Amino acid sequence: MAESTVRPAPPGLPAVPLEALRTRGLRFAELARSALRNPTTLLGLAILTVIFAMAIFAPLLVPVNPSGALQMPRNWGATNAPPGTPGHPLGTTPNGGDVLYGIVWGARTSLRLSLTVVSITVVVGVAMGSLAGFLGGKWDELLMRLVDVFLSIPELIFALAIAAVLGPSFGNIILALAAVFWVKYARIIRGQIMQVKQNEFVDAAYVVGESRWNVYRKDVLPNSITPVVVQATLDMGHVVLIGATLSFIGLAEAGLAEWGNLVSEGQSGIAAGRWWVATFSGLMVFLWSLSFNLVGDGLRDVLDPRTEGR
Amino acid sequence: MQIKDYVIRRLLTLPFLMFGVSILVFGISRIGGSPIGIYIEHEMTQAQIAEVAARYGLDQPLYVQYLRWIGGVLRGDLGWSGVSVAPVTEMLPAKLTATMELAVFAAIVAIALGIGMGTFGGARRNKPADHITRVVSISGASLPTFWFGLMLLIVFYLYLGVAPLGRADPAIYAGLNHYTGFYTVDAMLNLDGRALRDAISHLILPAVTMGFSAMALIARMMRSSLVEQMGEDYVDAARAKGLPERLVIRRHARRNALVPTMTVIGLSWGFLLQGTVVVELIFNWPGIGRWMTDAVLQGDQATIMAYVLVTSVIFVTVNLAVDVAYAYLDRRVTLGA
Repeated sequence: MAESTVRPAPPGLPAVPLEALRTRGLRFAELARSALRNPTTLLGLAILTVIFAMAIFAPLLVPVNPSGALQMPRNWGATNAPPGTPGHPLGTTPNGGDVLYGIVWGARTSLRLSLTVVSITVVVGVAMGSLAGFLGGKWDELLMRLVDVFLSIPELIFALAIAAVLGPSFGNIILALAAVFWVKYARIIRGQIMQVKQNEFVDAAYVVGESRWNVYRKDVLPNSITPVVVQATLDMGHVVLIGATLSFIGLAEAGLAEWGNLVSEGQSGIAAGRWWVATFSGLMVFLWSLSFNLVGDGLRDVLDPRTEGR
Repeated sequence: MQIKDYVIRRLLTLPFLMFGVSILVFGISRIGGSPIGIYIEHEMTQAQIAEVAARYGLDQPLYVQYLRWIGGVLRGDLGWSGVSVAPVTEMLPAKLTATMELAVFAAIVAIALGIGMGTFGGARRNKPADHITRVVSISGASLPTFWFGLMLLIVFYLYLGVAPLGRADPAIYAGLNHYTGFYTVDAMLNLDGRALRDAISHLILPAVTMGFSAMALIARMMRSSLVEQMGEDYVDAARAKGLPERLVIRRHARRNALVPTMTVIGLSWGFLLQGTVVVELIFNWPGIGRWMTDAVLQGDQATIMAYVLVTSVIFVTVNLAVDVAYAYLDRRVTLGA
């Protein structure tokens, strides 16, 4: 953190406009270069590029299902087809769903799930954590007690309970995950802000007459945000992992083109030797989550020098 | 702050924390609206519905409903479990023991392998062994438990035929005395070798599935803290006096590296508790996790609330114990900060 902070003008020198002292964004190219030197980060990025390409070009890879893009097409003439069947290169499910369709369009489902949940939780978490950390006092006390309570329930179980009460649907999985994941961000940003606001450059900003809001917006927040970026990257993977677990248990709509849902559909066939449905779709959850973990780890190494070499 | 004061302070906050958790759990159960749907049927008249609502206190304001519920919980009444068709409190002990047996085994697997692997990798920094440790520990955090379990089933149950499903072979277990409810312990107390082998063979796959992500977490922490310790002066001193590298690690570096690993072991209890839900579903294990998934699919709120409450009590207690142990082990920790 310390190296990105801005020092106020030494006494005796002409006052420099605060804008000129801010270094936000300048280090980006340098950071990107050092992140890309790490082979595991590169591996993560490579997997991500493939999956993202799959999500973006899904209609070109597998024709869209006319009755709904994220709905598994059903071919009742070819149920339980093994991989290599003409028209179904990765086989079909017990309900005649094409596994390849589920894999390709499932990438879109996962992208939608993770982007929605991560953006909601980052905004809510950062807002709550900022209130606590920047204003302090009563707000801080209240929020931290709330955070303690939320962190007393393991996150999968918490999300499972919420999704169960709301009823099985993909939208409810999103809601449940959002309700659970914001807490981490609130805690991280609060801790960061408590540290950053003790810096001299914050006092300096007040001295030159900046308003509280401007000090927060221009000085405190930008210098506190990096751990949030790292956490958000890791959570892009984690949200899909937990979301897939919920839909594996049976909390998504039946027939949704989602990887966890597919594993659940393939589970019943395993005893009869039909391994392909669960294997391929579960592998996608693993690769998705692995690649975000690798990239998140790489980001942490370059953004947070304290953990370097770990 | 003295350690004693710290422990007392943490113990004092515990009831407040649990009070908060109970409100949260009650809140979750009401976000879907009134739970009256479970108790009424289509052909009921408005008057009959009102009568049902009055019987269960659902016509009262929310805080009264909460007080009724929490009062029951404190007296040991967790409600009626629809999936078990019995009171929750009656079903809970047997299911909890089944889960605890599995969790303890998974924890043993996770801690032993995690510390072993972390030490192995950390002592060979940047060598192939270290890279393997890193890959395993990163993939452990990314591995979907439900998929890993199914893959193990495909290999060991389907193709190799060496692993059984469920908790035990009923034919073997019918003749045993059940002293503790832990099948492995009961088998030992009965001096029955066949039953012990049976119990352990049923435990291995689910325990490995459940413990894998916790193992990865522990291995990772162990590795990085060992790497850190190996750079300290006392390690050089131990080497200088001619101690073989193996003993330098075992007697000196590993002991100190274990201290930060403790916190992660506490954290990994969260993983284990979460794991029960999916692992018990896949391996047909008759514990609280399977009970929860049944309850979730049938909308059985009493069971869901009981499960969440019990899990979080275990989670919070274990975390408290770990924090206290950590405070004793590492006197540099600033308490109460």
